[in-house]
Amino acid sequence: MQTGRSFRAPQLRPLGWLWPWLLLLLALLAVRLSKGAGFSDLYALLTRPFWPGSAQGEWVRSAQQLGDQMRLSQLEADNRRLRQLLQLQQADPVLVGAPVISRESGGWWQQLLIGKGALHGVRAGDPVLAPGGLLGRVASITPTTARVQLLTDGNSRIGVWVPRIRRHGLLTGVGTSRPVLRFLEKDPGARPGDLVATSPASTLVPPNLTVGVIQMVDDRAVPATEAVVQLSAPVQAVDWVQVPTGRR
Amino acid sequence: MAALHRQGWCAATGLLVPLLTLAAPGFLRLDGVPPAWAVLWLLPWALVDGPVSGAGAGLALALVLDGLHLGPVTLVPALVVLGWWWGRLGRRGTRIERSFSLGLLALLGTLLLGGTLLAQFAWLGEAGRPLLRTLLAQSLLTGLLAPMLCSLQLLLWRQQTAGLRG
Repeated sequence: MQTGRSFRAPQLRPLGWLWPWLLLLLALLAVRLSKGAGFSDLYALLTRPFWPGSAQGEWVRSAQQLGDQMRLSQLEADNRRLRQLLQLQQADPVLVGAPVISRESGGWWQQLLIGKGALHGVRAGDPVLAPGGLLGRVASITPTTARVQLLTDGNSRIGVWVPRIRRHGLLTGVGTSRPVLRFLEKDPGARPGDLVATSPASTLVPPNLTVGVIQMVDDRAVPATEAVVQLSAPVQAVDWVQVPTGRR
Repeated sequence: MAALHRQGWCAATGLLVPLLTLAAPGFLRLDGVPPAWAVLWLLPWALVDGPVSGAGAGLALALVLDGLHLGPVTLVPALVVLGWWWGRLGRRGTRIERSFSLGLLALLGTLLLGGTLLAQFAWLGEAGRPLLRTLLAQSLLTGLLAPMLCSLQLLLWRQQTAGLRG
């Protein structure tokens, strides 16, 4: 008579201790893929009592006035030429004020974390303005925060122009506090002191926002002239920024 | 293997790393460059808890920190290797607790971490960044802070694991 051998399922108990670690790994991957959504929101919640006040330093105010004056004169000059084009655009965007709650502008990355996010209407790609001019663009958002890629970041590229000579170029971040303006042509006639503004042809940012002032011109650069630009918005001192929303 | 990772509050101190990275206190910067907080936390953790726990903690930290930064550059390989390496060192007979040793290990670790970032930025064609200045400033600052901060963490966590064994 054949002795009965019962079928035995493989032992799964030794693997039972793995599931909490798998859950932890999944949670960490979720943090990674969501670009730190949970941590940014937690950080915003914890540091809310310490967010900067609305008062800005005197030199930041003077930088704002200078930026306003330059922007006003340039808008007056462009008003007639762009009137028809401006009529095609939507109404003025709503400006959302946001505090700067984390600043990383001197290390491997050039970014800010601001205390307004998707719940306040901020969207990825929105321009970020500071007293003095354009600071960067929103790169990623969470419900209550937004991460801003500064113009100085190595991945930042926006179209700009020099209104005095009406020459366009690409403002490229190189990781230092002064990005490089690469003109589209050789010998455009730019000189130190020229104002740099966002290009009217740009589809990424609103036209004619003040960006900075040319500090040095290299006419020997190839394939076209390059210029070093001193940004007019003081990244290290800005406590509040403005995000134009609802502009698409 | 020490059971430091089973102590919830010990593992929870790892949350300080992303929070300190975001806060980036201005008085703890060198030429605008902050220290490598991940290195300062991971070094004592791996020395006390061993290579497997060290590599796991390095992976967890790197995944969180990658989420806080823009772009595809990752800290995962460097922090996993560092956690494993420091865990192996902690399993040797001689205890590593002298200030010079901790400072040197943190310095070398930050150089390795920065080296992998530098290589990735170069691979992505962003060689124009002032990468070397950032690498040197961060390594120096981390190496200087390690004897103070890592000694305290080592003392605290070794007491904790000794209490668990006892």
